[in-house]
Amino acid sequence: MSFFSLARLGFAGLLAMAPALAHAESVEQFPSGPLTIVVPFAPGGSNDTLARLVGRDLEKKWRQPVVIDNRTGAGGNLGGLAVARSEPDGYNLVMASIGTHAVNPFLYKNMPYDAVKDFEPVTLVAKVDLVVVVHPSLPIKSVQELIDYSKKNPGKLNYASGGNGSSQHLATELFKHLTGADMTHVPYKGSGNAIADLLGGQVPVMIADMPIVAPHIKEGKLRALAVGSAQRSAAIDVPTLQEAGVKGYEAYAWYGLFARGGTPRPIVDKLQTEIAAILHDPRNQTFLRDLGAVPSGNTPDEFAAFQKSEIDKWGEIVKPLGMTLD
Amino acid sequence: MELLSNLALGIATAGAPENIFYCFLGVLLGTLVGVLPGLGPTATTAMLLPITFVLPPTPALIMLSGIYYGAQYGGSTTAILINLPGESSSAVTSIDGYQMARQGRAGQALAAAAIGSFFAGTFATFVIALAAPPLTEIALQFGPPEYFSLVVLGLVCSVALAHGSVMKALAMIVLGLMLGLVGTDIYTGAPRFTLDRLELADGINFVAVAAGVFGIAEIFRNMENENTRDAVIAKVTSLWPSREDWRRMVAPILRGTFLGSALGILPGGGAILASFAAYTVEKKVSKYPEEFGKGAIEGVAGPESANNAGAQTSFIPMLTLGIPSNPVMALMIGAMIIQGIVPGPNVARDQPELFWGIIASMWLGNLMLVILNLPLIGIWVRLLQVPYHTLFPAIIAFASIGVYSVNSNAFDLYAVALFGVVGWLLLKLDCEPAPLLLGFVLGPLLEEHLRRAMIISRGDPMIFINFSERPISAVLLTLAAIALVIVLLPSVAKKREEVFVEED
Repeated sequence: MSFFSLARLGFAGLLAMAPALAHAESVEQFPSGPLTIVVPFAPGGSNDTLARLVGRDLEKKWRQPVVIDNRTGAGGNLGGLAVARSEPDGYNLVMASIGTHAVNPFLYKNMPYDAVKDFEPVTLVAKVDLVVVVHPSLPIKSVQELIDYSKKNPGKLNYASGGNGSSQHLATELFKHLTGADMTHVPYKGSGNAIADLLGGQVPVMIADMPIVAPHIKEGKLRALAVGSAQRSAAIDVPTLQEAGVKGYEAYAWYGLFARGGTPRPIVDKLQTEIAAILHDPRNQTFLRDLGAVPSGNTPDEFAAFQKSEIDKWGEIVKPLGMTLD
Repeated sequence: MELLSNLALGIATAGAPENIFYCFLGVLLGTLVGVLPGLGPTATTAMLLPITFVLPPTPALIMLSGIYYGAQYGGSTTAILINLPGESSSAVTSIDGYQMARQGRAGQALAAAAIGSFFAGTFATFVIALAAPPLTEIALQFGPPEYFSLVVLGLVCSVALAHGSVMKALAMIVLGLMLGLVGTDIYTGAPRFTLDRLELADGINFVAVAAGVFGIAEIFRNMENENTRDAVIAKVTSLWPSREDWRRMVAPILRGTFLGSALGILPGGGAILASFAAYTVEKKVSKYPEEFGKGAIEGVAGPESANNAGAQTSFIPMLTLGIPSNPVMALMIGAMIIQGIVPGPNVARDQPELFWGIIASMWLGNLMLVILNLPLIGIWVRLLQVPYHTLFPAIIAFASIGVYSVNSNAFDLYAVALFGVVGWLLLKLDCEPAPLLLGFVLGPLLEEHLRRAMIISRGDPMIFINFSERPISAVLLTLAAIALVIVLLPSVAKKREEVFVEED
C-alpha cells in the first residue's frame, strides 16, 4: 500500500547518492538517476504546470523519473532555498519565478539565498502574458477609461492579485506608478481565489495571468483592456499597454529553470539543450501560445542576462515604492 | 431533454471498458495510498498525478477523480482506526469514529462512512448534472463579507453548543484561532509568530497538528500504564451495522448530504465547514446527545456524508469556472492544462464527452469505492489486533512518512512531535482537541475574509449587515445572533453539555 510513498523515498535516497554518482559520471552518462524539479508554489499554478510539462517530456527522453516537488512558503523562498542547498550536480532544478529570482530580494529583508550567486541559470521556460481585465458591470472599455474612472472616483476602485509580491501585484503597482491610477490592492492567496471574486464582481479589476482568465474573456464574463507585454498576445487580441498610451510599460510573468550554483557547465548545457528541444516542439509551442504563454528555451547566458535585466528593472520599481514584506 | 442526452453521453463515456478500468484503478490507488496515516487527498493526488499523464484526457481525469475519492475515503479509514486524520474534514470523523473503534465497532464505523459517502456521492453527482451552471452563479454571490458571516455562523454554532466545561471548549477554540495566526500575514506580508523560522512562513502544517494532537497524543496516553494499553485491541463483535445502527444512520446521512452539497459549491472553501457543520447539527438534533464523543454512529455518518458531498460538489466551480476551491481541484486544473484542455466555462460546450464523462464517472467511482471498501473493512479491522508494541511504532513511522511527504519538510516532523506532547497535556487537562482544530482551520478563513471585506468597504462594518446590498451576509449574521440567543435559553443550555465532550 505504501509503494508510491516508498518509491518516492527511494527517489530521495537515490538523490542523496547522486553527488557521488555525479563526480564519477561523465556528461554523456548524465542523468544516471532521477531528477527533481522544485516548484516553489502550490500545485496547479502556471509554474507548476510548466514544470510538469517539462518534466513529463524529459522523462520520456531520458527514461529517468522526474519528480515534481512542490515546496511552498515565504513567497517561494523555501523552494529556492531547497535548490540553493542542494548538490551542484544538475539533478536538482527549481522552476523559478519573477518573485523567487528577481523581486523577492527587494521585498524580503531576510533573503535565505542569493538569487544570482547561489544558482546557475539553465533556461527561461516561458513568459506568461499578463492582461488587464475588468468586470463587465464597470462602464470601462479602454485603458484610458480605466485611468479616468479611477481618478474621478478616488478611493473607490479595488484591484485583486494573487498575493503580496506576486507578479499581478507588481504589474498593477507599476501601472499605477506610470499612470497615476487610483486603485486599492486586495491580495488573495493565489490567483484562483482572486478570479472567483473578480467574476463575481466583488473586486472589479485585475492584471491577471492570461491562461487563467482567457476562457472567461472569451465567454464575455470579463472584459480585457490590454496586455502588459510589448507584443500582443496570441490568446486574446487586445492592444498592449504601450499601444494604449502607457509609455514604458512592460510586465509579464516568467518562469525559468535554475540549477545550484557551481553545477558544471557541460551538464547545464545538456539540460538546456534538452529542455529547449522540448519547448521548441511544435505541439508544445502551439499549446503554450494558445494558453497565452510564450515559450523560450534560451541559452544559459541569455537567461543570466535576462535575469539581471529583470532584477534591475524591478529594483527600480520596487525600491521607490518602499514595498517590503518582512 | 438535453440533460438526458448529456447524461447518456456521460454514461456511455464513463461506461467504456477502458474508462471503467481507469476509474477502478484510480479508486484503488487512491485508497491504498490515502490509507497511509497523515496522507490526505492533496498529497495522495499530487503523488499519483504523473501516472495519469500517459493517458488520453478523458481516462486521465476519470482516474484522477477516482484517486481523489479513494484518498478521501482512505483518510477517513485511518481517522477511524488509529485516530489519525489526514485532513481537516476527517478530523471530525475521528471524534466518534475512533471511539467506536475502541469499543470494537470499527466495522460499523467504516461501513457507516462508506455507505454515507456513497449516498452523498450519488446525490451530489445528480446535483452537478442537473444544476451546475445556475449553482455557479449563486456561488459567485458569495464575496468576502458572505464568507466571513458564514464562518462566524459556524464558530458561533460550535461555541453555542459547547457546554458545562464551556470555558475549556472556548479556550481550545481560542488556542486554535491563535495557532492559526502563525505565518505570513497575507495583507501586509509581515511574518507573525514565525520565530524567524522560514518553515513557519506559511503557518503550521495542519496535518502535523492533527496527527500530533489526535494520533500521537493517543499513543502517549495508551503507553501510560498497562491497564489502558488494551484500548486499541478492541474486541470486534460484528462488522456490519445492526438494524438499530441503520435506523440511526439514515437521517444523519440525508442531512449531511444536503449540507455538504450546499457548502461544497462555494469556491472559497465552503467544503471545509461541511463536516464540522454536520457534526454540530447531528449533535444538536440527536436524541442521544450524550453519546456524542463516545462513539455515536451519527457522528460518523453525518460528517462523512457531508464531507463526500462537499468534495463532489466542489467540482462545480472547477468544471464551470476553472476555479479551484481546494488544492486537489488546483491539481485537476493543472492536469487538464497538461492534457491540452483549458479549464473554464467552455469545457462543457467544447468537450461534452469529457465533461459528462467525468460527471458520470463520479457516480461510478463512488460505487466502486463501496464495492472495494466494504470487503476491505474486515482486513482493516484485523489491523487493530496487531500488538501495540508493533502497531505504535508502525503508526508513528507511517505518520512521519505521510506528514513529511506533504511538504517535504523535516520541520513538520518536529511539529508532529511537539503537538503530540501538547495533545497529551491537553488530554490530561480534560481539554478536547476537536474545538482546537476547528479554531485552527476556521481562524485563518475568518481573518482573511474579515480583513478583505473591510478593505473593500474602506473600514465600514455596515458591509456585513446591510440588507439591501448584502442580503446573504446579513441573513447569515442574523442566524448567528439567533443561535447565540438560543444558548441563553435554559432548555438548550442543558443540551449544550455534551457537544465537545469526547473523553470518557
